[in-house]
Amino acid sequence: MDRRLGAAGSRGRRIVIGASALGLGQSATVVVQAVLLATVIRRALEAGATLSAVLPQVVGLGIAIAARGVLGWVWEWTTQRGAAAVGGALREDLVRRMVALGPSWLAGERAGELALSATSGADAVGVYYGRYLPQMVVAALAPVGVLAWVGVTDWVSVLILFGLLAAVLPAMVVFGRRALEATNRQWRGLSSLSAHLLELIQGLPTLRAFGRVDYGRREVAEATEGLRRATLRTLRVAFLSSLSLELLAGLGTGLVAMVLGLRLLDGGTTLYVALAVILVSPEVFLPLRRASVEFHSSAEGRSGETRIQAVLAVAPGATGVATTALPDPRRSTLVLEEATVEFPDRSTPALSPLSLRVEPGQRVALVGPSGSGKSTALHAVAGLVALTSGRILLGEVDRWHVDPEAWHRAVSWVPQRPHLFSTTLAENIRLGDPGADDDRLAEAVTAAGLEEVVARLPRGLDSAVSERGTTLSTGERHRIAIARAVLHDGPIVLLDEPGNHLDSAARRALARSLAGWLSDKTVLVAAHHLDVVYDLERVIDLGRLEHTSATVTHP
Amino acid sequence: MKRGPQATGTTLGRLVSVSPPPRWRLAAAIALGVLTSGATIGLLAGSGVLLDKAATRPGLGAIAGLLAVVEVVAVSRAPLRYAERLVAHDAGFRALARWRVWLFDRLEPLSPAPLQTWRSGDLARRLVADVDALQDLYLRGLGPLVIAVAVAAVAVVVEGVLVPGAALVLGACLLVALVGAPAIAWAGRPRDADRAAAGSLSADVVDLVQGAAELIAFGRSADQLARIEAATARLARASRRQTRATGAVGALVGVCAAAATAGILALGVDAVAGRRLEPVMLAVLPLVALGSFEVVPALGAAASGLADVGAAGRRLLEVGDQTPPIVDPDAPRPVPPGPVEIALRDARLRYETGAPPALDGVTLTLKPGSKTALIGPSGSGKTSVFHALLRFWPLEAGRVELGGVPTDLVAQRSVRAHFATVVEDGDLFAGSIADNVRFARPDAPEADVDAALSAAQLTGWVAELPLGLATPVGERGARLSGGQRQRVALARALVADRPVLLLDEPGGGLDQVSADRLLADVLSGAEGRTVVVISHRLSDTSGFGAVAQLAAGRLVSLGLGGSEGLDGSEDRGDR
Repeated sequence: MDRRLGAAGSRGRRIVIGASALGLGQSATVVVQAVLLATVIRRALEAGATLSAVLPQVVGLGIAIAARGVLGWVWEWTTQRGAAAVGGALREDLVRRMVALGPSWLAGERAGELALSATSGADAVGVYYGRYLPQMVVAALAPVGVLAWVGVTDWVSVLILFGLLAAVLPAMVVFGRRALEATNRQWRGLSSLSAHLLELIQGLPTLRAFGRVDYGRREVAEATEGLRRATLRTLRVAFLSSLSLELLAGLGTGLVAMVLGLRLLDGGTTLYVALAVILVSPEVFLPLRRASVEFHSSAEGRSGETRIQAVLAVAPGATGVATTALPDPRRSTLVLEEATVEFPDRSTPALSPLSLRVEPGQRVALVGPSGSGKSTALHAVAGLVALTSGRILLGEVDRWHVDPEAWHRAVSWVPQRPHLFSTTLAENIRLGDPGADDDRLAEAVTAAGLEEVVARLPRGLDSAVSERGTTLSTGERHRIAIARAVLHDGPIVLLDEPGNHLDSAARRALARSLAGWLSDKTVLVAAHHLDVVYDLERVIDLGRLEHTSATVTHP
Repeated sequence: MKRGPQATGTTLGRLVSVSPPPRWRLAAAIALGVLTSGATIGLLAGSGVLLDKAATRPGLGAIAGLLAVVEVVAVSRAPLRYAERLVAHDAGFRALARWRVWLFDRLEPLSPAPLQTWRSGDLARRLVADVDALQDLYLRGLGPLVIAVAVAAVAVVVEGVLVPGAALVLGACLLVALVGAPAIAWAGRPRDADRAAAGSLSADVVDLVQGAAELIAFGRSADQLARIEAATARLARASRRQTRATGAVGALVGVCAAAATAGILALGVDAVAGRRLEPVMLAVLPLVALGSFEVVPALGAAASGLADVGAAGRRLLEVGDQTPPIVDPDAPRPVPPGPVEIALRDARLRYETGAPPALDGVTLTLKPGSKTALIGPSGSGKTSVFHALLRFWPLEAGRVELGGVPTDLVAQRSVRAHFATVVEDGDLFAGSIADNVRFARPDAPEADVDAALSAAQLTGWVAELPLGLATPVGERGARLSGGQRQRVALARALVADRPVLLLDEPGGGLDQVSADRLLADVLSGAEGRTVVVISHRLSDTSGFGAVAQLAAGRLVSLGLGGSEGLDGSEDRGDR
């Protein structure tokens, strides 16, 4: 809790303090209202006062009521800012950590669920710290102040109210804890609903093709109905704490009224005291009631926070200490020394120890059956996955000892399954270099053989590329990834199955158009088809881990 | 095709017609709400009368009735409130399922092509968060509106019975508050752009998760983070505007309540002095006035709630009102039973007006049991042949025939029941391997599943898995490798037991040897079925009866399959 507030900075603390003061001020106006109203009624009834005699109190009453409303305004304003500040800070922490954890961690997560955590989840946590917490401070302090005033005015009533308050607190804690458990369940339900619906939308073509749209519809209806039942279960419990509180608040006011009425009968108290106390008594419970109203959203916030903290608790893979400058990648040898990658949830290593030297300007192919570690080796060189053991060096320098930014600048990577971002084709290619001008963009388009695609699209390079690139074929998506890499222009080029989705003529055409760009690059290619890159110096079969040293040359 | 934004009133009307309010539940919630507010006001006002009366020392008998009333009201308020909240929430939630299923049903005929203009993260948000927001239409919108008006009316009547002038004062002040509160709240309502920002924030996070590798490898993750932060800032601004309005409603209510209470108290004191009002009733006047304003803030919340609902509803209708590219004929014709001949006749297909045709005059006949390879470079129209066959997209000219019946005269469902597809991605659903394999035919016998697994070369792999067929595949099959995904999708298609098997790049993620073996096994496993295979590389066409080569949407050659290698290139002779 302190740590989260720490994220919001000293402003967060100021908000809690300021908001609490405002809440206490609101309670004070109620006491003032009660005193003034009781005074007016007593004087009108007992002293037969005319309007002019009590006018100052009547006006004062109006001012006190209005002041409560205005203080409420300022309270809303302050607490909302607190909520936004904390929620925003948490969202930033979360997305930053997601980036730090990297693609191999993200691959095991559900994108829809993470998106929900980073959006509504973070917001709910903000509400918890921005609104619930100050309300709790008020709930803890205001009743004490109000009870103190009642005690000074009428000690019998304070005993009744204090007794009831003492009775309600344990009930609230018990009900609150149960509500929290129920809300945790509900939060998980909502997360999986979100992930599930995302999948159903993305899989709609398959649902239609197999005539199983009924499956999707049933899943949607059942998920919604399940969530309704779960939510109502949660609410039945969540509302219990406010039920107990309101019950005791009503009972308190009723009991105090009865006792005061009976004491008035035998002259045990005065009308002024009785009226003032009865008007104030609901205020003993009101701050707690407000806190319990916020409790539901706060419980959501705490569940959201549990999920978010779980992500934040995952330690990003050991990051190197950038102590050394990156040697010139055009002149340095790329060395893999017993590079090994293991994932905790898999029994066999994703990359068995691989040792390899690639001289500057050399082209080396990695071949081997699916699952032999070709892609993992490229991921490791690209800096996307941490080695379990072994080293990757450029010249004499370990990758972990250089600034990752500099390393990424030196490497152009073409993934096997490229992700296209939901923006224009041009923006997707400019991922390689956002500052690239139109001429360089056109060069990259040509080198990647995308000209025909650009010509075919109605708005050319400005056409929107839909998610997962469904308007584009897999081969075309791959060419976009190649254009990115060309634009990025890192001296070390990693090609993951570059010709896989192309026919052999297209592969040869691509090889011809890439030849110029690749001429001065160090190239590591994972491939089934060796004809995209000319003049391969070596082919390494990861399936057998025997180095074939024959030079493979293509016409 | 997209319709312009509708007024909130129109939108709310459409929403009500899609999912009408659960009438009795809503009425019960409103009745309970009025009673709850009545109890709140009654408790304080009753206590005031009780004390005023007791102060005149009339003896216990005279106040016994009042005492009982006060105690009953004091105890009943909380259960009433509890019941009201549960009933109202239930009513709100019950309406959600119908909206959600309605939207899903409207999305279905838009898939795959027209839906591509939306990001799937954004669509999912519409289906989850926006539909969720609609519960407020009944929960925070209509209910509180009725409750506020009813409570205000009762309060004015009570004041009028005691002091006629007080009714005027309270009526005037309540009117200002009842009109002003929703107006202020409406002014601070979240704009559609804010909701859009929330949608794109969600999509940006999905992009960050799914595209993390690219963002990191190209050193661009900071840009994506900056976009997310900018969206956060925009949402914070919107929320500030809304809060300002909520607070202002509170202040307005405070000022109106202050004016009413003080004014009515003054009238009451005057009436008591003039002996026009029984003194014991003096306390009732200000307390009822003050209490009646407690329902007003809910009215402000109702206004901003309805604005929210309107915005969410517009986002729903924006997608739901799209015209589907294909609708079923009114009187669909049946397809002749059994394996039938399937033919494309002079088919032309265009995804967007103005774009070059994806298919241009393609004629192709698939005899029952035939094996056809569709080859050609990327973008030559191979996948569009599948779209035309599956009737995912209408033809601009020409037709597709199923046993001599043009498919535009047949129900889409009956057309698609002829085909089992395998797409390159696999396109699996979260669930076990068994769930996915049996997806198209949940009641498939064990033997069919085993045969399909073996034809897809999965038997050995499945046997090695600790959980076997019960192994979860993850969201969209993310826990499997590309090759495994495809094999599971292939097994799914074989279990489906449809007359025609459509395979889009089988073995796309596999090495040549495995891909060839997979294809050979498919062709032998699909004995008797019609098979169409899309491939950009075929090292061996011996299994195929026909090889159709496409280029730029046209069929450039149609030959017999043979043993010689074919790869779909235009310059086949040069290797």
